[in-house]
Amino acid sequence: MTENENGKARLQARDVVLTLLLPGLGHLAHGWWGKALLFLGALLALGATLGLGVAKHRFSWLAGPTDYWFSTVMMFVLLALVWIWALYDLRRAIRERAEKHYVFGYWQMSFSRFTRDPKGIVGLLTIVLVLHVAIFAPFFASGHSFKGVTGYVKPVSHAIQMNLLNFQARPSSDHPLGTDNFGRDVLDRIIYGSRVALGIGAVATLLNMLLGGFLGLVGGYFRGVSDAILMRILEVINSIPFLVLALLVLSLWREGGILSLMLILGIFGLQPARIIRSEVLSVREEDYVTAARAIGVPTWRIILKYVLPNSIASLMVVTTMSIGVNIIVVAGLSFLGYGVPPPTPSWGAMLQEAQEYMRTAWWMAVFPGLSIVFTVFGFNILGDSLRDVLDPRLK
Amino acid sequence: MIGYTVRRLIQVVFTLFALTVLIFLLLKLMPGDPAVVMAGLGAQLETIQGIREELGLNRPWPVQYWRFISGLFNGRLEAMTYHRSVWSVIFSRLPATVELGLFGMIIALVVSIPAGLLSAIYRNSLLDYSVTTVALVGISIPVFWFALMLMLVFGVILKILPVSGRGASVALFGWQQFRLSFVTWDGFRHLIVPSVALSSVLMAMNARLTRASMLEVLRQDYVTTARAKGLKERVVLIKHAFRNALAPVVTNVGLQVGTLVAGAVLTETTTAWPGIGRLMVESIQRMDQAVVFGLALFIAFFFQVTYVIVDLLYAYIDPRITYD
Repeated sequence: MTENENGKARLQARDVVLTLLLPGLGHLAHGWWGKALLFLGALLALGATLGLGVAKHRFSWLAGPTDYWFSTVMMFVLLALVWIWALYDLRRAIRERAEKHYVFGYWQMSFSRFTRDPKGIVGLLTIVLVLHVAIFAPFFASGHSFKGVTGYVKPVSHAIQMNLLNFQARPSSDHPLGTDNFGRDVLDRIIYGSRVALGIGAVATLLNMLLGGFLGLVGGYFRGVSDAILMRILEVINSIPFLVLALLVLSLWREGGILSLMLILGIFGLQPARIIRSEVLSVREEDYVTAARAIGVPTWRIILKYVLPNSIASLMVVTTMSIGVNIIVVAGLSFLGYGVPPPTPSWGAMLQEAQEYMRTAWWMAVFPGLSIVFTVFGFNILGDSLRDVLDPRLK
Repeated sequence: MIGYTVRRLIQVVFTLFALTVLIFLLLKLMPGDPAVVMAGLGAQLETIQGIREELGLNRPWPVQYWRFISGLFNGRLEAMTYHRSVWSVIFSRLPATVELGLFGMIIALVVSIPAGLLSAIYRNSLLDYSVTTVALVGISIPVFWFALMLMLVFGVILKILPVSGRGASVALFGWQQFRLSFVTWDGFRHLIVPSVALSSVLMAMNARLTRASMLEVLRQDYVTTARAKGLKERVVLIKHAFRNALAPVVTNVGLQVGTLVAGAVLTETTTAWPGIGRLMVESIQRMDQAVVFGLALFIAFFFQVTYVIVDLLYAYIDPRITYD
């Protein structure tokens, strides 16, 4: 490579200045429209959210409860990430273009397949939208500044604050989705409920994956006693519906609230272990594993370097779909009264309240359910797309 | 084959034993005292003590466990909140759930199998996209919310179906415990909403499964051969493809009893359908340990037997599979 070409493969001062000015402008200058729009769009979405929050609540949240602080901090973290990621991505893209014989790896190929799959994009957008609402819930929710007796101004969310004068108000411009039997705004409760749904869904699934992934990996690779024990445990757990088992275990520790839900779903939701085990069972018979064993590669290294990476595709698919399943299970448990304790808004509990008032307030029943369907659909369609993308054999 | 079946059945016994121990421990560790719940508000201490004595709640755990197990086997175990035996409580609720489950499964299969087959045959057509999308939405809908929506639309707004409950039922062969409701017009109308709600998830799952299985079969060499022989497409599909594509679907129906019973718990609670799913939730809430224990054992037994049958069925349908 000549010096000149080498120089071209670097970030130019112009790129840096443009990107720092507005992430995405640098990409635009190179003619990468798609990426540029992505960064500008992210920036626009974050900016609009911040603007909405300021317009609605001024800066009163700085004196408010912790969830306002969480959103504010997340706002700055995400904004910083957009800038840093834009710079990093531009540098990488320029280098990639300069390289003549660029070899695409498995992940890059999968990624490029993914970007061409409408299902995956729809799923990802859905999840990003719900996640965005969950993180910036206070900015989207309505609310009013409340002057307490001490003269201290603090914002009070309509999601929790009861207002019996507003009992079951029909959807109107004040309350787009109406109010519930305590006069609380349904839209606000749905917005805050997304935190509970995603939070429990994500943490429980993470636990499932760590525990189930470990057990499945060890059981599938070593077979023998550990495998037999795992399979027997799964058999016992599978002999009654998971919902019933969860009800029984939740009765032990109802005051645990969100924490107990996360732990119970996380520990007893061992289904992924079975799927990962069967994947590992087939991977361990592959020639490259046998070859590695023959040349004396230590077992832990075989598991980490050969078996895990080759089973990770199904692990990712299972993870994505499990989040959806867990959200539905949490909603079901809350619906039966075993979920998050009131007044914390959760979609399942909202439906439980709505059931009594179906004749008078249909909006209480319709909208929380739609949000569950929307969110779970996002995870399911993303999982479906990941399966097509990561494992093209199955398509 | 017989050897395998015997081994499986021994395994089932051990699994059920482990499960009863697990359930028993969960019930005993549960905070609260069933005797206090039964005695009601403002009960005297002596009353509570008496109930405890009567139910054997003050005996050591192994003794209580044995009481439950032996009581279930000789049928004398009394439900704590009913003055009847556990089995009589369970069997009086069972027909409702069987009815609901069977109807749900039938509706699901009648819709999903043709949908799945057609969407595989006309792959990448508008029909295929609609079926796969509807199926994806279907697995994302919580059954209890779907039941609520059906109740709202057909019961509250259109007022053409009853909102909840089971309606009139007829005792079969004069046996008062065993009542069926779908034979009466009123009972049938009550059955529609819960069974359609329950079928939604199964419908979606089976449509996806049928489609995947049919696509797999259409890719096989024997289908290509059949086409190469010059057979009509209709003959290829009906004689060569359908049979093979449906085998995994049919066996999978057995494995879906889990989904079915879990769905029944929520559907029955939502629509006030008096089946065993609702009995389970009620008994957990009322701390009726005897009913929870008996019902859990009953459901687990049913599941395990179904799984064994499915395994044997696999071998019967596909002679390549042997278990010995």
